[in-house]
Amino acid sequence: MNRRHFMQATGSLLLATPFGPLAFAAEAAEAAEGTLKLRTLYNKDQSFSPLAKAMEGQRVSVDGFMAPPLKADSKFFVLTKMPMATCPFCETEAEWPDDILAVYTKRSYTVVSYRRKIITRGVLELGSYRDPDTGFLSRVRLSDATFHLA
Amino acid sequence: MKHIVSSALALALSSTAVFAQDALPQQDNEWFQAAQAELAKKAGRQPITNKAKNVIILIADGNGVGTNYATRLFDGQQKGGYGDEHVLPHEAFPYIALAKTYNTNAQTPDSAGTGTAMHTGVKTKAGVLGVDASLNRGDCSATEAASVANASEIYSAMGKSVGIVSTARLTHATPASVYAHSADRNFEADSNLPEGCDQKDIATQMLDAFEAGRLDLALGGGRRNFVLKRDGLVDEEGKAGRRNEEDLIARAKTLGIAYAWDDATAADLPLDGTPVIGLFESSHMKYEADRTGEPSLAEMTEMAIKSLQNNDKGYFLSIEAGRVDHANHAGNLARTVRDGVAFAEAVAKADELTNDEDTLIIVTADHEHAIAFQGYAGRGSNILGLSRQINPNGTEALDEPNLAQDGKPYTTAGFLNGGGAILTEDQDWFGTRPQITEEEATDIDYVQQALIPMSSETHSGEDVAIYAKGPWAHLIDGTVEQNYIFHVMHHAATAE
Repeated sequence: MNRRHFMQATGSLLLATPFGPLAFAAEAAEAAEGTLKLRTLYNKDQSFSPLAKAMEGQRVSVDGFMAPPLKADSKFFVLTKMPMATCPFCETEAEWPDDILAVYTKRSYTVVSYRRKIITRGVLELGSYRDPDTGFLSRVRLSDATFHLA
Repeated sequence: MKHIVSSALALALSSTAVFAQDALPQQDNEWFQAAQAELAKKAGRQPITNKAKNVIILIADGNGVGTNYATRLFDGQQKGGYGDEHVLPHEAFPYIALAKTYNTNAQTPDSAGTGTAMHTGVKTKAGVLGVDASLNRGDCSATEAASVANASEIYSAMGKSVGIVSTARLTHATPASVYAHSADRNFEADSNLPEGCDQKDIATQMLDAFEAGRLDLALGGGRRNFVLKRDGLVDEEGKAGRRNEEDLIARAKTLGIAYAWDDATAADLPLDGTPVIGLFESSHMKYEADRTGEPSLAEMTEMAIKSLQNNDKGYFLSIEAGRVDHANHAGNLARTVRDGVAFAEAVAKADELTNDEDTLIIVTADHEHAIAFQGYAGRGSNILGLSRQINPNGTEALDEPNLAQDGKPYTTAGFLNGGGAILTEDQDWFGTRPQITEEEATDIDYVQQALIPMSSETHSGEDVAIYAKGPWAHLIDGTVEQNYIFHVMHHAATAE
């Protein structure tokens, strides 16, 4: 096995492990219901969309990208619709985009690069909530969530 | 035979006549005819050499030749064509040059240095505004000594009105370079000034310019830099300000400046020459693809011209499409080209509302990005989508995508670096290209694949185009230093 194949093999092993059988159940559900795009939860003026209101309290799948975690060993991360680029020429300091989704995972998770698309599945919650550990204020969340690479 | 054709072409070039005697087999070909018509038009062109009453410069931030190409194809394809044949409004302007965009200390420039070049006539360092290259970025103590005269000072001294329009914050690099002097582009609000820095912040300088009569109209984003950040004090959208000291919107109202903060209040703005400030977002205005509740760049352009043209001595107007750059930084070409089209519509509006005989219009960019185009795509391949195979038996591309050596399709447009990089930290900086479909690639949120991992896609130092029409526009010619643009505008405005 050359180095490249070794890296690929270990990479897929590492990435497969944390998700376990839950991932298969989630993927089956996605196939049945389809995966939502993050932007469909918001209207252009950043109010919640009719779809988001209709799905509140239900278990849904949403695709996006894991923003670099705010805190190590957390069960919380922020899902963004595009890779969370920080642009020093655009902003004087790092800023979150308006349309994000806070994800509270069922188990501790292994961080995935902010460039790799993932699909998260959890219970959709609407309304403001401040994370006690990070102080992060979210307006929409997935709780009891799992995720896997898209 | 080659010699005979050359002779016939020489005859055609000298007379632009139809090839009556030495007819070429291709003379009825539509490409041949179209080029002949273009030749006749250009041969009859006369430069306009009277003084320009008005000068308008439209800058699409980050819209180099490559990015502009993407917008041309996108706009043309949206209008039902293949895209390549489409002509954006500024591409029909009679004069064009290439600008070298580097800053004095940067092969790859930033918008503060380039904006200063275009609005003061001198190149300077990256990251500084309205000062020469003697100032080291961040050295507040040197701002006054290093300051050079900027466009708002120069044109207001001629008795002209001065306006700025931008979809970025009005305190952001490009619009700020019209009116501000700052040791750092990031000194947008007083809360951004480092301790001991006695230079005024950029938002305060904007209000100072209004009070002094050096600025008459400003429409764009960046409201937070004008609003206090005291507890409980928020702007019209419920967002907190960033100022420690003075609320500049209250000051503007005291000065008799008409103020708007959304599309409804913008519609009520007096356009009779009353000084006007519109701050339509807390930070940058929205991307065109996401725009709601605020005016478009073309609408702001129309408001600006209608307001400024009340001055009998004319006006200087600087208009920026600020978010072409931001979408490129995000590696999200779908939003880049939509803001590019919004820019083209602003160019068309400026042209429509002015007269070539008395108004010089310059259209340019401040710098390019690390954008590139690849593969052998057939005609009509979606510029945002997959490279489709050339059809050897027809015009429009085949449905089959071109495949790379990894067996996967690829998009025609890509970025060399940025958020779309396929090498990722969680794979020890290895990676493979994700599989990609046409539907994914043309999605509004798609980030093009890239090679070098960076959190933000970068600028590049390659040339940008300058398009011009109106008085002295013929001086826009050749490959020039970017600060030359200022000198053509100034010459046009002062020519006798």
